[in-house]
Amino acid sequence: MIYGKIWCVVKPSVGVPIIIGAVAVASFSVHLALTLNTTWVKKFLNGSAAQVSSIQTESPQVASLTLQEAGRK
Amino acid sequence: MSDKDKVWPTGLTEAESEEIHRHLIQGTQIFGMIAAFAHLLAYIYSPWLH
Repeated sequence: MIYGKIWCVVKPSVGVPIIIGAVAVASFSVHLALTLNTTWVKKFLNGSAAQVSSIQTESPQVASLTLQEAGRK
Repeated sequence: MSDKDKVWPTGLTEAESEEIHRHLIQGTQIFGMIAAFAHLLAYIYSPWLH
């Protein structure tokens, strides 16, 4: 197997954690960048809660308008 | 000529080094397959790349 003899000169207790750690850091940073630089990830993770919250923000306005109209009459 | 019983600086022989490397490659392949499957699911079920 190609490069199979690397562990003759690199201690596995040093080399293996470096490889796994490099993969973990690279993967985490890519996913963090995706989360921070796009809008759809948060929206997607919120699921239907995003729609519910938008409805909730609309309803007080409607309620206040209704109260204002009632005050005019 | 390579000596198969020679113990290298890490304390391993060539055969032991090859064995560790085989397991590392196998682990990488399994990780890669799971990651590819996860990305496929993410592509299908999320707005990613749409």
